[in-house]
Amino acid sequence: MAKKFLLKLLVVLAALTLIAVGCGNDDDAAPAPAPTQAPTEAPALEPTEAPEPEPTEAPMDDGVIAAFVFVGPVGDAGWTWAHNEGRRFAESQTGATTHFAEDIPEDGPDFRNIVVDFIENEDADVIFATSFGYMDAMEELAGEYPDVVFEHASGYKMNEDNFGNFFGRMYQPRYLSGMAAGALTEANQIGYVAAFAIPEVLRGINAFTLGAQRVNPDVEVHVTWTLTWFDPAVEGDSAAALLEAGADVIAMHQDSTAPGLAAQDAGARWVSYNSDMSAFAPDAFITAPVWNWGPYYARIIDAVASGTYAPGAYWGGMDDGIVALAPLAADVPADVAAEIDEVAAQLIDGSWDVFTGEIRDQDGNVVVAAGETMEDGPMLGMEFFVEGVVGSATG
Amino acid sequence: MIRPVLVRRDRVLPATQSLGFVVGILVALVLGAILLWVSDNSPAEVYERMFDSAFMGTDSLSRTLERTTPLALTGLSVAVAGSMGLWNIGAEGQMMAGAIVATGVAMMADGLSGPLLIAVMLASGVAGGMLLMLGPALARSHLGVSEIITTLMLVYVAIRVVEWLQVGPWKDPGSLGFPRIEEVPDQASLPGLFGRVNIGALIALGLLIVFSLAVSRTAWGYELRLAGSSPDTARYAGVSLRRKVLTALLLSGGIAGLAGTIQLTGTEVRLTPGLSNGFGFSGIIVAALALMRPSGVAVVAFVFGAVQVGGQSIQTLGVSSAISDILQAMILFGALVAAVFFNYRIRWTGPVGESSGEELEEPDIAVEGA
Amino acid sequence: MASENADHAVWLRGIEKQFPGVIACAGADLRVRPGTIHALLGENGAGKTTMVNVLAGVYRPDAGEVWVNGQRCSFHSPADAIAAGVGMVYQEFRLVPTLTVAENIVLGSAPRLLRSVEIEERVAELSAAYGMVADPTRPVWQLSMGERQRVEILKSLWRNASVLVMDEPTAVLTPGEAAELGAALRAMAEGGRSVIYISHKLDQVVAFCDEATVLRQGKTVATVEDLQEVDLTSLAEMMVGSSEGGYVDRPPAMEAGPEVLSLQGVCALNDRGLPALIDINMTVHAGEIVGIVGVSGNGQKELAEVINGLRRPTEGRVTVKELDITGASPGDLYGMGLAYVPEDRLGVGLAPKMSVVDNAVVRSYRSQRQGIFLSITKCVKFCQSLVERFAVRVGRLNDPIAGLSGGNLQRLLLGRELAEQPSVLVAAQPSRGLDVQGVAAIQGHLVDQRAAGVGVLLISEDLDELLALSDRLLVMFEGRIVGEYGPDVTPRTVLGSAMAGKAPK
Repeated sequence: MAKKFLLKLLVVLAALTLIAVGCGNDDDAAPAPAPTQAPTEAPALEPTEAPEPEPTEAPMDDGVIAAFVFVGPVGDAGWTWAHNEGRRFAESQTGATTHFAEDIPEDGPDFRNIVVDFIENEDADVIFATSFGYMDAMEELAGEYPDVVFEHASGYKMNEDNFGNFFGRMYQPRYLSGMAAGALTEANQIGYVAAFAIPEVLRGINAFTLGAQRVNPDVEVHVTWTLTWFDPAVEGDSAAALLEAGADVIAMHQDSTAPGLAAQDAGARWVSYNSDMSAFAPDAFITAPVWNWGPYYARIIDAVASGTYAPGAYWGGMDDGIVALAPLAADVPADVAAEIDEVAAQLIDGSWDVFTGEIRDQDGNVVVAAGETMEDGPMLGMEFFVEGVVGSATG
Repeated sequence: MIRPVLVRRDRVLPATQSLGFVVGILVALVLGAILLWVSDNSPAEVYERMFDSAFMGTDSLSRTLERTTPLALTGLSVAVAGSMGLWNIGAEGQMMAGAIVATGVAMMADGLSGPLLIAVMLASGVAGGMLLMLGPALARSHLGVSEIITTLMLVYVAIRVVEWLQVGPWKDPGSLGFPRIEEVPDQASLPGLFGRVNIGALIALGLLIVFSLAVSRTAWGYELRLAGSSPDTARYAGVSLRRKVLTALLLSGGIAGLAGTIQLTGTEVRLTPGLSNGFGFSGIIVAALALMRPSGVAVVAFVFGAVQVGGQSIQTLGVSSAISDILQAMILFGALVAAVFFNYRIRWTGPVGESSGEELEEPDIAVEGA
Repeated sequence: MASENADHAVWLRGIEKQFPGVIACAGADLRVRPGTIHALLGENGAGKTTMVNVLAGVYRPDAGEVWVNGQRCSFHSPADAIAAGVGMVYQEFRLVPTLTVAENIVLGSAPRLLRSVEIEERVAELSAAYGMVADPTRPVWQLSMGERQRVEILKSLWRNASVLVMDEPTAVLTPGEAAELGAALRAMAEGGRSVIYISHKLDQVVAFCDEATVLRQGKTVATVEDLQEVDLTSLAEMMVGSSEGGYVDRPPAMEAGPEVLSLQGVCALNDRGLPALIDINMTVHAGEIVGIVGVSGNGQKELAEVINGLRRPTEGRVTVKELDITGASPGDLYGMGLAYVPEDRLGVGLAPKMSVVDNAVVRSYRSQRQGIFLSITKCVKFCQSLVERFAVRVGRLNDPIAGLSGGNLQRLLLGRELAEQPSVLVAAQPSRGLDVQGVAAIQGHLVDQRAAGVGVLLISEDLDELLALSDRLLVMFEGRIVGEYGPDVTPRTVLGSAMAGKAPK
């Protein structure tokens, strides 16, 4: 792909040179750039790694056309990259045709326009949209196009017929990643670069903190808000500020790799997010809670193909594989690694969950009594920080 | 040594201007075709899609007009200040300020009937935009502080205020903990015309007509142009520069505030930090391409809107967002370069003694002595 | 040729330069010997600034040659001139306030790697060598005007300028600082450098400089080999001296009418906040031309601005036909019968980028309305009437006015001011820079206005014009009126002395 690009570039440069040199020469008709090839469906980024589940038997084309709308660039190595990997997996798994559009703002007419284009021009049967801010427009579009399935990640709205939402219990692997971080911090101070003070992020910070405290009761988690999902400069600066203030491990709820690069520069450690980012800062990398959207996408596409789709509010956990923990760094102590495996097994078999009492909030009030486990409702609307988190839970 | 120097043309005919616009875009399209071919896309297919989704059919036109409305208003906002030689870089922020105040008013005046509520919200949006502009305007008129810096800085202030409002005082209790501001009441939605186009488009059109007449045909506009073109002459003619700077900037802010409110009540449902969506900044390009003339803003805004709609839609053909962005930028850049060349010409200057100085023009009207 | 030029640090030869509507230089010469301080004298608009800007590479001359240190030069940019050894110190300093003295000095000519300590040491050495004390580590915004000027000079020296051009250097200085500057310039001249010194302050010119060139209307009219041998009076005369071209004959004396303009105890500040007008008392009667004589920069500009409401007096009052107009806006004043032809035609009087029609209605647009709109028909009709009455030659009325020649610009401007029969006309340098016919036409209009009973205040640097047209002459020096003379009975030498500040009390 890259080679072909260079080749074409050379052709163009050569043509331009010819035009420049042969100015006035009648024989030298300007070579019009005629397309020689049909456009290939071209993902901008080569995957660094094959999707985890190995492709099974040859996929059969079920004729479904699925379109994905991403909020960031597929090359972000984070949130959107993970979704795009899911799209590729689903395509190879189901044989469906997939399209995607990247960098689509949450506000303004863009989202709506691109979805309508996918439906009207590409005959899309199912639309996956992967950012919270698309929710209102999705609801509206679902009403206008009753024959198209709309699946929305990270939102809470749905309808009876063709509009569902899906998300994963990321707090589970976050808890495990907290255990690894808690074991490796020497300063007992962990910096957490977080985007927005919304329940999803608060839940993650709390789970991470509880995990760290499990192996290291003295640990404190310091939170800074960046007010952006993807802005490498701001993310990096925030991480640097936390490191400056004494943290020796950086965790994050962000979509770029910048916090990891900041940690590596400072000789500190890093828990990444979204995908296994160990390649970007190998010395700093500890582990990462990661998304694995592929199987869910494949399932929805299959359901659409077989006509069995029914909208739901899917919130899968480690048991379903939609969230997982990336491999641990080699220096995570063996006893902690063993304990992480043990807890992971409990999370998968459902015998235990993260928000099980006794849990106190920042002010020392008991929010989950001993022996009780938090229901999904309060978890989805979480608005507090647990004891041990330093920072404001309102942003 | 011979070197090129840009020399301002004495007179630019509107026809040459429009022709330049078209030529610039055509050149950009040819260069864009090369880019598309190099990046493995079919230029013909891509351009066809761009054209179709921007112009063909009512739905496409409605999309283009949906974008034209805010672009025309922010372009007008920048042009009103620009016709006095002032630069409002912060229409983006004034859009937000207008939407904030309008949302606040809607929360308090929820019980009003639709038309009344809409009128109140639009008026308060204008006030909000003016309010954000008040500081820069006063600083400029009384202290000479550059409005370029102050208006730009306030963009980020306005966006941060929305971020604070949505996690703080205006957080919608019904949003399951998500930081979102409540939707504006249903009766506040602007009545639609066709497709996605609402009466905001008519408001924008009306304002463009009013302002192009006001600037070119009234004593007020004459004073504005005089003050922008030659401040000392304006002072000599008895124009109060301070008052003119204040009115031009406040009107500019008010129009941008109105743009924000029309977005709020027309295309969006609630106030979010992304509401202004870059329209305020794009307005600067629109106004610059229209040479700060309100009459040109409508045309440029329409073309600009079409380029954005068309450019966005080609992603469905598998064109990456990066290529689509470059393509859009090239088209606008082509138009901009054309605008430069149709207002200036290149003179090749020779060594001293062989050429006349570049300041000296042969005026088209040759008059010597008397 | 080359050998002839070798003795000159600078030789500007036959420089011609034209701007839209103005001929700035019409074949002017300037020769400066090495190691001298050379005064460049002339009234505003005589072409001094254009000449030095040609030398500094800012303007390219339409014709003529530039020689620096015996080399024929062809400058394409100021950078070329700097490389050839020309250093320019403008009236408005071009320093970065937030940078230090040393940083400003090396800005643009610094070696690749800036080692600030080393540079500061070298800057300190340089300033010590010329007796110009300047702490290299201080930021420029903390410095006084005099210190900033030193930084500008040091900047040129740092770039090894062999010719230093100073435009009105003492205008911003206190008397003590001016004396220090003189000493520093002398030290530089003794070191073999040359200085071109532009100033209106003749006493300083005589005190600081060795030789002088006098420009008038874009031409060199006199050179002085040794300034010690001329006196101030004859210098002043040379500057305002006789110009070619006929002047309108002075009209026969008339009985002066009632008083139409009077100033009582008027004081005002200039743009820098220094006193520019001190206790001005004067009157102008209907049907008389009162001429203001003086070397420019002695308060004439401020006088015109105070009368026309463009500058607020700090004390005193101005009356037009016994109506107190102090502090009224320029627009209102026009309505009260006060017309004004400002010195700066294309910056104040006219808006160069706007059309002929737009410029024609600057004074009257408020009365060209039809409903809420400006009536284009009325505006055009008004403009056409001016064009016809004042014989303005124009092309399309909707083209920018900057395309008109100087004489036509001035005719349109004067015509506009006279359109509504004023009772007072203040005309500042109305004929400057115009060709012979233009001068005659403008002067003719002034005389006609006098005959029509208008009180005319004529501010000019053209002594012949003033002598030819005025009924009375008032001499201004350092913001005061230092004498009143009748044009018929006063020898030019007496006026010269008065202009140089030696008025017999």
